[in-house]
Amino acid sequence: MNKVSIATEAPPKAKTSLFPRHRELILKGNYAAAEAAKLCRVGFVPAYPITPQTSIVERIAEMTAKGEMGATYINMDSEHSVFAAAMGAAIAGERVFTATAGQGLFYAHEVLHAIAHFRLPVVMCNVGRPSIPWNIWSDQSDSLSQRDTGWIQLYGESSQEVLDSLIQAYMLAERVHIPVMVVLDAFYQSHTSENTWVPDQDLVDEFLPPPAFQTGEATAANQHLAFGGLIPPEHYFKFNYSFWKAIQEVEEEAETVAEAFGKQFGRTYHNVEAINIGPQTKVVLVTMSSIATTARGVVQHHPEVGLLKLRLFRPFPSRAILDAFAQLSPDTRIACIERNFLGDREGGVMQEMRRALYGNPFPMRDFYAGLGGKDVPPSTIEKIIHLAKEGKEDVYWVDFE
Amino acid sequence: MQPAMDFLIKEEQLYSGALSCRGCGWALLARHLTSILGPDAVYVAPASCFSIISGPYPLNELKSTVVHTVFAAAPATATGVRAAMDRQGKKDVPVVILAGDGGTFDIGFQALSGAASRGENILYIVNNNGAYMNTGVQTSSATPYGAITTTNPDGSFKKTWPKDLMGIIAAHNLPYAATCSLAFLEDFREKVEKAKRMEGFRLLMIDGPCPPGHKTDPGQSIQIARLAVEARLFPLFEVERQQYRINYRSASPIPTAECLKLQGRFKHLFQPENKQMLQDIQEHTDEYWDRLLKLEEISRNHNVSTVRTVQAG
Repeated sequence: MNKVSIATEAPPKAKTSLFPRHRELILKGNYAAAEAAKLCRVGFVPAYPITPQTSIVERIAEMTAKGEMGATYINMDSEHSVFAAAMGAAIAGERVFTATAGQGLFYAHEVLHAIAHFRLPVVMCNVGRPSIPWNIWSDQSDSLSQRDTGWIQLYGESSQEVLDSLIQAYMLAERVHIPVMVVLDAFYQSHTSENTWVPDQDLVDEFLPPPAFQTGEATAANQHLAFGGLIPPEHYFKFNYSFWKAIQEVEEEAETVAEAFGKQFGRTYHNVEAINIGPQTKVVLVTMSSIATTARGVVQHHPEVGLLKLRLFRPFPSRAILDAFAQLSPDTRIACIERNFLGDREGGVMQEMRRALYGNPFPMRDFYAGLGGKDVPPSTIEKIIHLAKEGKEDVYWVDFE
Repeated sequence: MQPAMDFLIKEEQLYSGALSCRGCGWALLARHLTSILGPDAVYVAPASCFSIISGPYPLNELKSTVVHTVFAAAPATATGVRAAMDRQGKKDVPVVILAGDGGTFDIGFQALSGAASRGENILYIVNNNGAYMNTGVQTSSATPYGAITTTNPDGSFKKTWPKDLMGIIAAHNLPYAATCSLAFLEDFREKVEKAKRMEGFRLLMIDGPCPPGHKTDPGQSIQIARLAVEARLFPLFEVERQQYRINYRSASPIPTAECLKLQGRFKHLFQPENKQMLQDIQEHTDEYWDRLLKLEEISRNHNVSTVRTVQAG
C-alpha cells in the first residue's frame, strides 16, 4: 500500500476572524458538499457520476485516496445501486453520504422510498437538473418530484448554506430517523466559487456525535434480525403511523438543530426566512435556492415587496409560514417562483403554498421562471413583481416568449 | 423425530415452518447452506420466493440476519452491508445473496455484473427455477426453451433459449462460480464449503425444483433434478478464474425427453407436431455439453492459480 504523506497545514493566521475555529476558503458548492461529508466523518460513500454532481464524488474519491477522509468509497454501477448500497450500509449502522442529480435521482426513486420507510438516517446531496428534453442545467423538477418519497428536503442558497445544512442534516436525520436530501442549484451553486467558512474538525466533532457503531455499540448485524420482510395489512399501517408521527416532529426538530448549530458555529438558520414581511407588504415573493439571492437584491428597492425563502421544503413548514404571514393584510399577493414543472397547472411551490395557506384570503400567483437553467436576472424578478400586482391571470410563464 | 439429513447437517440454522410450497427446493437449499455458513452470516434477499419463505414480518426463519431489499439491487445492498461489516472489523462475516432467476438474470442483472466486476467479497446464491414463480409463473430470461408460463401460455411457449448466465458470470473472471443440484447434495455442500473458503465474488447456481411452476409432482422434485443432471440439461461444473471443470459425468446419459416428460410445462412438446422442438432441445443440450468439454480441455492447459482477491489500496 502506498503511504501518502500529507503536508501539515500551517495554522491559520491569527487575524480577526468572523467565525472563530474556522478557515475561510473559496469553494464551489459541490466542494462545500464534499467538505461537509468529510467533516461529518461519513463511513460509506457509494458513488456514480452525473453532471452536475460529479465533482462532489470526485472530490470525495480524491480525499479518501489521499487518506484525508476515512470513508469507504465505492464506484457503483448506477444510481439505483448507489442508493441500494447506501441502504445496506445504513442498515448495518454506517453513516452514509452520496450525491446525485436529475436522472440519477429519478432512477433511484424506488430506493428513495425504501430508505425513507426503513427510517434510515442517510444524507444525500442533490444538484438539481431536469429530465427530458435532455438538460443538465439548474432546475428543481427532480427533487420536487421526489417530495413524496419520505425524505426531508433542505434547499441551500450558497456554498456556505450547503455545507452548514449538511452538518445539520446528519444531526436531524439521526434524531428523527428520516433521511435528508440537501438540494443545491446546478452551476449557479454547484460550480460557482464563493467565500465559505469551513469549521475546524473538532468544532464539528463537538456538535455531531459519531454514529453508534464507532463508539463500540452493538450493530444490528449480530442480532439475527430480519429487515424489510413482507408486511401484512394488520401490521403495515403501524409503520406508516409511526412515520407520520415522526414527520410532524421534523419542523420543530429542524429549528432545534438549527438553533444548536447557530450556537456552535455562529451562523443562524431557520426553516423559512422572512424578509420585509409585515402589514405594509403588498407582494410576497416565495423563492428557493439561488433565485432567493437575486430576489434579496430586488426587494431592497421595493419597500412594499417581501421575500419568503423556503429552506425546509419537506415536510412543508406550514407553521413557520403562517407565523411569517401573521401580520399580512388579506389582499397581499403571494407570488410563487417555480424553477420546476411537475406536469400540472401550478408548480411545486404554489401547490404546497396553497396547502399551507388554505383558509387564508391571500390572492396567489404562480410564476414559471428559470426552467432548465434559464437565468433569472433582477429584471425577471421585477416583471414578476409587476405581474403579481397588476396581472389578472393566476399562472404566468415569465421571460419565456 | 429427527430429519433424515441429520448426518449432513450438524446444527440447524433454520427454524421449522418455512413457507415454501411442497417440493420446493428453497427450504432444502437454505438448510444446507446456512448449516455450513453458520449464524454470523448476513443474508440479503431481493424480491423472490425466498423473501416470502424466510418469513413475512415479524418472522425470520433464519437464525441469522436477513435484509430484504428491492428487486433490482440485492448485489448493491449486499455491497453496502459488506462495506459496513468490513469497517466494523467483521471481515469474516459471510455476506450472502439469496435470489431467484428473475432477480439475477433479468432485473438484478446490472447490479450483479457491477458487484462481480468490483470483486465484492460476496457469495451469490441463485435458485434458478426458470421463471418468476413467486408472482405465479411468468417467463424470465432463464425460462427454458419450450416451457409454458402464464406470459407464454399454450401455443406461445418460450421460443428463445435461456440466457447463459454461467458463461456471462464466468467472463467476469470470478474466483469461483459453480452449478449445483439438490439431487447431488454432497457436491452442493462441497461447493458451498469451497466458496466459503474463498474471498471475492462467488456465485452458485442451483437448479430449483418448483412443482407449481414446472407442473410436477412434489414427490418427484429430487428425482427430476437428478434426471436434469443425467440428461445434461443442468450439467454440474465449476469455474475458477475462467478455468472450467465438469464435476459429474453420467455413466449412461439419458435423453432430455426423459426429464422433460415429467414436467407439465413441457407437455405440449410431446405432441406429434412439436417433435422437431424436442430434437432441437436435445441438440442444444448436446452442443452445450460439448462446449463444456472443450472449455474444460482448454482449462487443463492452464494452472488454476490460488484464488485470492487482491484488495485495493
